[in-house]
Amino acid sequence: MLVRIVQVFAVLNTVLLAGLLYVWGRNWWQIRSKHTLGLVMFSFFLLGENLMMVYFFILHPGLNAWIHNDQMVPPIAQTALALLRVLQFIGLAFLTWVTWD
Amino acid sequence: MEAALWYVLSGTRGGANRARILRALDERPRNANQLAEDLELDYKTVRHHLEVLEDNNVVTDSGDDYGKVYLPSESTRVHWDTVEEILEKVT
Repeated sequence: MLVRIVQVFAVLNTVLLAGLLYVWGRNWWQIRSKHTLGLVMFSFFLLGENLMMVYFFILHPGLNAWIHNDQMVPPIAQTALALLRVLQFIGLAFLTWVTWD
Repeated sequence: MEAALWYVLSGTRGGANRARILRALDERPRNANQLAEDLELDYKTVRHHLEVLEDNNVVTDSGDDYGKVYLPSESTRVHWDTVEEILEKVT
């Protein structure tokens, strides 16, 4: 269950960041300034981070088996991982809300 | 103020159109109807953009109930070099 939260929110964060990168990338294409570039770089690297989460915790066969095993990764560690994904999602959701405007 | 200007005009999906609206209002104050016509934008879209611009204190209105005109705010005027930098690149 906890691992499922990590997986679902890693995907949701990836989707939000792809949307942000799309909007900011288009604006950067039009307005070549350090401000627009900064937003592109931010979303690009955070998208990279979440794509790695998707790879490590959903696609990678070894790590995926490992993280699901309570003996290997105790629930408290799984909770910490899930909490990080959920908090990042809330932050990104608000940022997407004001950016999609 | 500068950060807000940058974000509202170049950090959001509707930024380019908001920049066009601000440029038109700098030429001369106009109401929402005139803006929609002059910029060939949907009236409701213009209304929404004006709301966002006003919310961020980028533009102010004349205060009339009907057909009120909008103009760049005082703080936007103070940071006009920033606005110009953005407007230059938005067509």
